[in-house]
Amino acid sequence: MARQRLDPNLEAMLLFADVGINIAKGRRRQGGGRRHRLRRFVGEQSRTGSWVLRGVTAQVAAGESVAVLGLKNSGRTEFLRLAAGTLIPDEGEVRRRAPVLPMIDLGRAFDRGFTVRQNIYLLGGLLGMTPGEVEVALPAIVENAKLAPNIDKYLRGASALTRQKLAWTIAMATKAPVIVADGMLVVGDVESRKQCLDQVERLKAAGTTFLVSTDVPRKFEGFFDRAIVLHNGGIVADGAVADGLALLRELRLASPAADTGKDDTL
Amino acid sequence: MALAYRNGVRIIWEHRQVLRMLVLRDLQKQYTKFRLGYLWTLLEPLGMALVLWFVFTQLLGGQKLGLQPYFLFIAVGILPWWWFSRGVSGAARTFRRNPAILRMSVLPTKIWVIRVVLVAMAEYLLSLPVILIAMLATGTLPGPLIALFPVAIIVQFFLMYGLAMLIAAGAAVIPDLARIVRIVLRATFYLSPVLYSIANIPAGAQVIAAVNPLVGILGLYRIGFWPTEIDSLPHYGISLGVTVAIFIAGSVLFHRLEGRILKEG
Repeated sequence: MARQRLDPNLEAMLLFADVGINIAKGRRRQGGGRRHRLRRFVGEQSRTGSWVLRGVTAQVAAGESVAVLGLKNSGRTEFLRLAAGTLIPDEGEVRRRAPVLPMIDLGRAFDRGFTVRQNIYLLGGLLGMTPGEVEVALPAIVENAKLAPNIDKYLRGASALTRQKLAWTIAMATKAPVIVADGMLVVGDVESRKQCLDQVERLKAAGTTFLVSTDVPRKFEGFFDRAIVLHNGGIVADGAVADGLALLRELRLASPAADTGKDDTL
Repeated sequence: MALAYRNGVRIIWEHRQVLRMLVLRDLQKQYTKFRLGYLWTLLEPLGMALVLWFVFTQLLGGQKLGLQPYFLFIAVGILPWWWFSRGVSGAARTFRRNPAILRMSVLPTKIWVIRVVLVAMAEYLLSLPVILIAMLATGTLPGPLIALFPVAIIVQFFLMYGLAMLIAAGAAVIPDLARIVRIVLRATFYLSPVLYSIANIPAGAQVIAAVNPLVGILGLYRIGFWPTEIDSLPHYGISLGVTVAIFIAGSVLFHRLEGRILKEG
């Protein structure tokens, strides 16, 4: 029943076996509003999906840190969601040996109508912690996110940075053996980024497996052991980080319009 | 039975702590939003029952509608209806409210449906004092068959759960379904024996009306107060059968569409 079926006998930590996912991309963005509903009704917008990823086969070994690179809309988020089981593949299968923590859009899961404390329980719960476990981790979370004086205030007033930092701290408190992150591995201002990076490095040294999608891989030089490059719905490179970066640069040059290189919000 | 266990009881039990938190938070949010808080849970159905009682006995007096005392009759009917209507319209919004949750939550997708169902049920349980008030106002006491009241709650829970799975999954894939649900809900109010008893409608139509699962559920709720309702027992059987069918259909459809639902995240 649970979203993530575990496979304790698997040799790799994560295994993608000929995975394909077909999504009608941008459908929701274009589909809102009465005008567009009418358009769809008269058939102007096709509802048939496209293969965001297809025939993807890859594996991640225990303790490995893998960067997922690619242009925008290259299916990086879908790749990560498939890894975490928050998407079910249309073809093939994804197998995992240990629970995977999805650090994807965490800040958006918060409920602005709740207090900080309630939100910690909420997000912790969504990430698979029981309220008892959250209670144990609560003091450390509040201290790390520097929210101690505001714990019973509503989260409504908090800045985006604060929310990100809080989400990050809660995610780290789950102590998951595999972390799948969509540009959320390091958050906050310069100082807190350094802290984040320190902690992530420590986790890596302790044997945590990472699968991270990032727009600014150069900031993590040395952190990643391997890079996977996604392009046109498939894996075009799977190997050394330097090779992956070189290929990504080529892809960017070839289609400058598709990817203007985001700022360094990671 | 096995399906009910696998889909309902076990998943709720395994995630009881998270569910308890989600439901409590939702209720808390509702009750802290308004000055009168919890009182609205009593005042709203009470006001509704009063209006209906006034219209059907004082304005349109003399009509042989439902059973006496009519005020209690409406109160016993309107509360489960409220639960039904809240649950159904909430289910249509399940995955529209916060699709981001689908992207990052490791909990089973069904949890979000169960959350909506449980919140509606908790509100219903909290509004039950309305029946006590109606009993006091009309000076009526229930008979021994009131023991069927909790049974009715359990049956309605499974009906709501099955329906919510059907509607939530459907609405995630076809957004227009939310609109359709609203219209159907309107019609269901008048097609269900909330204002009248199943015995009030022509004998030939009773069998067809009994396809509505609410017929059986409302009958079970009322049997304790009006033992004559037991005459319609065969009809209750039909609607209980439909309830089971809805639950099975909901479970199957949700399982089939889970991948599609997740893509909406």
